This record gives sequence, C-alpha cells and structure tokens, in this order.
Amino acid sequence: MSVLAIGLLYGAATLLVMFAGMPIAFALGAVATIFMIAFMPSSSVDTITQNVYEEMASITLLSIPLFILKGAAIGRSRAGQDLYGALHAWLHKIPGGLGIANVFACGLFAAMAGSSPATCSAIGSAGIPEMRKHGYSGGFAAGLIAAGGTLGILLPPSITMILYAVAAEQSLGRLFLAAIGPALLLVFLFAGYAMLRYRHEYARAKSHHERTGVTSELLRVDTMSARDKFALLPRVLPFVLLLTGVMIALYGGYATPSETAGLGAVLALALIAVIYNVWTPRDLGPILVSTLRESTMLMLIIGMSLLYSYVMSYLHISQSTAEWIVSLHLSRWILLTTVLLMVVVLGFFLPPVSIILMTAPIVLPPLRAANFDLIWFGVIMTIVMEMGLIHPPVGLNIFVIKNIAPDIPLQDVMWGVIPFVGLMILAVVILCFAPGIAIWFPDHIMGLGK
Amino acid sequence: MAHGLDEIGIENPTVSTTDPAGPASKAMMQVNRMVEIASAIALVAASIVLTYSVVTRYFLHFSTDWQDEVSVFLIIGVVFLSSASVQARRGHVGIEAISSILPSRVNHVRQLLVDIASLIFCTYFSWKSWLLLEEAIVEGYRSSSTWQPPLWIPYSLMTLGMVLLSVQLLLQVAGYFRRRSDPV
Repeated sequence: MSVLAIGLLYGAATLLVMFAGMPIAFALGAVATIFMIAFMPSSSVDTITQNVYEEMASITLLSIPLFILKGAAIGRSRAGQDLYGALHAWLHKIPGGLGIANVFACGLFAAMAGSSPATCSAIGSAGIPEMRKHGYSGGFAAGLIAAGGTLGILLPPSITMILYAVAAEQSLGRLFLAAIGPALLLVFLFAGYAMLRYRHEYARAKSHHERTGVTSELLRVDTMSARDKFALLPRVLPFVLLLTGVMIALYGGYATPSETAGLGAVLALALIAVIYNVWTPRDLGPILVSTLRESTMLMLIIGMSLLYSYVMSYLHISQSTAEWIVSLHLSRWILLTTVLLMVVVLGFFLPPVSIILMTAPIVLPPLRAANFDLIWFGVIMTIVMEMGLIHPPVGLNIFVIKNIAPDIPLQDVMWGVIPFVGLMILAVVILCFAPGIAIWFPDHIMGLGK
Repeated sequence: MAHGLDEIGIENPTVSTTDPAGPASKAMMQVNRMVEIASAIALVAASIVLTYSVVTRYFLHFSTDWQDEVSVFLIIGVVFLSSASVQARRGHVGIEAISSILPSRVNHVRQLLVDIASLIFCTYFSWKSWLLLEEAIVEGYRSSSTWQPPLWIPYSLMTLGMVLLSVQLLLQVAGYFRRRSDPV
C-alpha cells in the first residue's frame, strides 16, 4: 500500500474513532496500535509500551502535573479574589478602571496559576458580579473574563507551551520568554477595549439619565481611601513574590523548568497554608484530587499522542505530507494562514495538547523551510488556540462563565466574546508585522536564537 | 471538552459515571480511593524532591543525581495508577459532539461500543506492559543515567495502572449488561 493510502486510512480511522466518542487518549493509542500491527514489523509492536514510557518519562513533560498542582493550589484559595480586589482599589479612578482591573488580574493570575479555566473561575467569580453591580452589561463582563482567562495558556508556565517546546524541539525557557511580550500586547488590547467600551456604555447611561432621570450604577463614583488601598496589599504581595521568585529561579539559572515546577508547587502550598490557613488534609484533598484528575487525563493524552506521532513518522506519513506541503511552493503567508486555519478548525474538536502533538511533525518542517522562526510560531499558534477557548462550538471558557454567572444568557456571552476574538486576530496580525514583540525578549535575555 | 473543568470543580456532565452497584464495583471504588491517596502523596513527594535538589545545589553546594529520576518514577506512577479512578468518573475526555444528536437508545449502544473498544485497547496495552516488565526483571534492565535505577520500578507501576484501568472499563461494560438484565 502506498504512503498516501496508508496516510488517508490513518486519518480516516482517527476521525472515525474520535467522533464515535472514544476518549482521545484511548482513540489515539488504539489507532496507532492497529496500524503498528498492520503495517510495521512485529518487533516494533513489541516495544509499544516501552515507546510510550520513554516518550512520557521526560522530566520536562512530567513538570506538567506539578505546574497543575501549583495552579490548583492558588486557584482554590481566595488569592484570585484578593488580587482582583487590590487591583480594583488601585485602578478604580481610571475610566473603565474596573474592567482594566479585571484584565490585569486575569493576566497576573494566569501567570501564577498557568490555567485558563482556573483564571476565569477565580477572577470571574469576584469580577463579573462586581462589574455587573457597577452597571457593566453581562455580555461585556463575561466576554472580558472569558478572554482574560485565555492568557493562562500563553503566559508562563503554560502547559501548551511546554508541549510545543517538546514537540518542536525548541528551548522552553526561550518560548516562555517569547510569550511575555505578546501576552502584554493582548492585555493592553483587552484593557484598551475595556476602556472604550466603558466610555460607550457610560455615555449611553448618561444620555439615558438626562432624558429619563433614571440613574445607572455606571454613573456612580467609588471612593477609596489610601488606607483601603494599602490594606489590600499584604494578601497579594506574597503571591506576586511567588510569581517573580519562580521566574528568577528559572531565568537566573537556579533551577531547571521541572525543578521550577516542583519549587512553585511547594511554595504555592506553603503560601495558601500560611495566608489562607489551607493545610489540613480536608482542605488539601480537593486540590490534590483535582490535580490528579487533570494531570492523569492530560498526561495519558500526551503519551498516546506521542505514540500516534511516532507511528505517523515511522510510516513516513508525516514526512510525506510535509514534503507535499513544501512542494506546493505556497507563499509563506498563505502557508501560515492555511496552517493557522487548520489549527482553528482542529480547535473545534480537540484540546490544544492533541493539536500540538499531532500536527507538529507535519506543519513544522514546511514552516521551517519557509523561514519562519519556530519560537515565534509557537506563540502565534498558542494565541490562535486561545481563540478556540472562547469561541463556539468548544469555547471551554464560555462553559466556565456559564457556571459562575448562570443568569447571563448564553447569547449575551457569545456576543460578548466576539470583540475579543477580533482583538486576538489583530494581535496575530500585529505579531506578523512586528515579530520582535515576541522574539526580542528571549534574544536579549538568552542571546540570539538559532 | 472537559479539559480543565475538573480543576474548578465542574464534573463532565455528558455521561454517567461508574455504577456503584455490585461488590466488584464497590471493591474497585475502594481501590481507586486508596490509589488516589497514594498518588496525592506521591505528587507532593515529587515536588519536595525537586525543591530539595534546588536547595541542596544552591545552599549546601552539592549536587544529587537521583532527584530527576525519582520524580519521573513518582509521576509516572501517579499518572498510570490514577487513570482507573479518572475513568470511573468518565474523566478521560472525548469528542462528545455526536452523543447530543443521537437518539438515546442509539447513543447507549454507541457508548457501549466505545467502552468495549477502550477495554480491548487497554487490555492489550496491559498485556504488553506485563511482557515488558517481565523482560526488565529477567534481563535486569536499568536506566542509562549515572544513578542507574532498575527499570522494573516504573514498568511495574505502568503495568499495575493499566491493569486497574482495564478492570475499571470491564466493570463499566459489565454494568451495561447488568442494567439491561435487571427488571425495571
């Protein structure tokens, strides 16, 4: 059978079992195993489990459960609400300051927790009711938090980035650094939009007030004393110190990424014990159990995705597809657009981990041949996958928002997220014209890349 | 897609979890509970081991060569051993797009077929893991690092985890047939 026929069969079999609803990990493992038995020598089939073990036993990959533990510890404490409260107190005088405080809180929390749904939940559970209390529309408040939460897969320690570093054989430290500039760009775009939208809603409320005499909460001015502002800092500072400490440990050369994950988890558990008194087995149980469930589910998908990619490579499916794409001689921007559209479509069905591990062997060689910087592409691909978190049909963060603010109609949430999807597309375009926003930082801190 | 939902306390709402009826299912729930506790301890232990390695290197100025592998073994154990308890809660995510449009009877059959296919794959993987473990013990396989720990340790954790996962799937498949034969 030709490589083309095997490749088409491999793709069709994968689609069939996945759409039948088989868990992604088992579906990928089962398809890979059947194709190993059918098309590979029996000696390869005998090493199937060794293969999975060796792929998974990478200390970089195994840092993922520890980063999840760190995120769960911070996410289950009151740290999110406290962080949000402090930012609100300090930013409330700026027009739209409440919305901006929410965006900044999402960014900071995402950097501490490294998880998109946890960020949405932690900041949104305090931020959405507060924004609505101050007269912000439900859809806007929901959209802001859903979009702010997506920063969790972009900012370090993003699990998506860890996988991309493994799949693309790129430096994790460099990737983490490359994400910081684009994440700040997104934060400023979101905050800028929050300010404009606030002005629009404020002007509308004001004219409504002038016409009808009905006062909106949006027109009310909050006052907070300096004492209020400083009183909120002691609870937030330790977490900001944790964030900076972990970054210094990683980039100061004190710890490897996996050691940073372990250190971060231990420090996060210690902080919630000291600050929030969360230390008994009853308190820690839910944190540890949720970490186990999330990590096990993810790590099995990763292990089986790596087996799936190995079979694809052994049978020359990935190489042939990559060579075919190169032979099309597409202009580099058409190639990039096509790859990103494919990522968007895959994002309708698959979590980012599977998208990265399954597509990397196919799309990275043509992108490398077209002279794209693979660190830069990792950032772009992650932003595109962020969009998948807030647009239907998957839109995980929309699901999270529905859970924390069930009274906001789904339609309002959907309309609320659309401007943010637009801002993310704008960020991708800006990064295409100004790639330095991503690669300047790693190049200056770690020296010029390959 | 349930990715990340667990972390914030949302269960996968699309499918039923383990049917707790029957002594075998109840025994499996107990096993899963114990494994969860052991795995939670192992996860924290892995974090402490890695923290210890940073502390000894920078404060006590000596390096250790075992901490990475100990963490790998602990986390490999956590991942494989917990996979049965994750399956008990239907926490291994899949694409559920079709389940919402199929009539409930057809969807029931689809879920059964999916579980049987998962069971076959996991049983095959368990058997292959067992063969690998046997070979590692007989041949005395060791890791290629300077510390050279024996590889039967992680292989046995992988084998045990996959066996538990297969048993869990078997119980879930058996649950369909038991419910079918039970008088309504």
